[in-house]
Amino acid sequence: MSLLSVTLALFLIMDPLGNVSSYLSLVDGIDPKKQKYIVIREMLIALATMIVFNYLGEVIFSVLHLSETTVRIASGVILFLIAIKIIFPAPDSLRANLPNGEPFVIPLAIPLIAGPSLLATILLYANLEPSQPIMLAAILLAWLGAVSILLCARFFQRVLTNNGLMACERLMGMVLILLAIQRFGEGIQQFVALYAT
Amino acid sequence: MPTPLLSIALTFFLVTNPIGNSPTIIALVKDFDFEKQKKILRREGIISLIIALFFQFFGELFLGLLKVQNFAVTLCGGILLFLVALKMIFAMCNNNSTAAVKQEPFIVPIATPLLSGPGLLTIIMLYSRQECNNLKITSAILIAWVGVLGVMIAAPYLQKILGKRGLVALEQLMGMILAMIAMDMIVKGSALFLKTLHG
Repeated sequence: MSLLSVTLALFLIMDPLGNVSSYLSLVDGIDPKKQKYIVIREMLIALATMIVFNYLGEVIFSVLHLSETTVRIASGVILFLIAIKIIFPAPDSLRANLPNGEPFVIPLAIPLIAGPSLLATILLYANLEPSQPIMLAAILLAWLGAVSILLCARFFQRVLTNNGLMACERLMGMVLILLAIQRFGEGIQQFVALYAT
Repeated sequence: MPTPLLSIALTFFLVTNPIGNSPTIIALVKDFDFEKQKKILRREGIISLIIALFFQFFGELFLGLLKVQNFAVTLCGGILLFLVALKMIFAMCNNNSTAAVKQEPFIVPIATPLLSGPGLLTIIMLYSRQECNNLKITSAILIAWVGVLGVMIAAPYLQKILGKRGLVALEQLMGMILAMIAMDMIVKGSALFLKTLHG
């Protein structure tokens, strides 16, 4: 897998554009300087979590002896379900009932940014991608993208309006589904090449 | 021998199939009032045009960057449509929870994959590879979309003829047909996928 495709998948799963409106409603009423501080703090926490899971991934999969084929198919299925949730949002989702008050770790860092789906994907990718530097670079790049979007959250909301944000989110979901099906297909290809004669 | 502009435009129009799709689309937006329906359909038509143009210029580049093969595009459209079709067919089951919660269709499923579906996107990419004349393909897409938008604008009037009961029946029926269209895409995608296994 190339650096770009890992970065893109991680960025899309973080879904920063989709998080813009929930972030803004969370920090509503806190003064702008403090807001910037909060974003950076929360994002650093999210980054730390991601990196921990990146290293954890290697350990877990080597302990469990899972083959690459398995991991590929599993990550395809998981990505697919995440994308379906983005495209057909459920009314009782996490975003609909956010807790009040200044966000600290929960809910912004975890689970809005580094949610279970992102962490699971990182676990899987850490196993698929043999080179550690590429994985770290991908996490950093995707993270930088998400940070810059959240730092300019007001700007994005003004330019795109809520409908525009939703449109971007849907399109990102479509791309994610494409990636998921492709990954699943690759898994099956590998499986067939290995076991069918 | 280059294909004439009008025949390309006609192909695009036929593959987009706005006339065949309009009963389905009407069934999807039937819970909104008339003005809102017109607005939704106009918007979806324009979004599908943008998607088509995007794929004409950047389609190959985009799919290449993501390392996505053609079978994934087709399967993706098929699976999404199938999910929508299931919702339409089994809409009756939770009838008590009023239509108010029903969400406005936005991009998925009308703009894509119903109008700008995988079939259209593949054909657009194919033609733009063959013709090497971007202007011609763009104008063909634009001509086709004059027709598509025309049908989209006319579609809401169709429900005036059908009435409320007719629309409920239509939703189930169109769900069935949509499920078949979806299955067709899935079968085609699987065929493409099987080819990659042997090739």
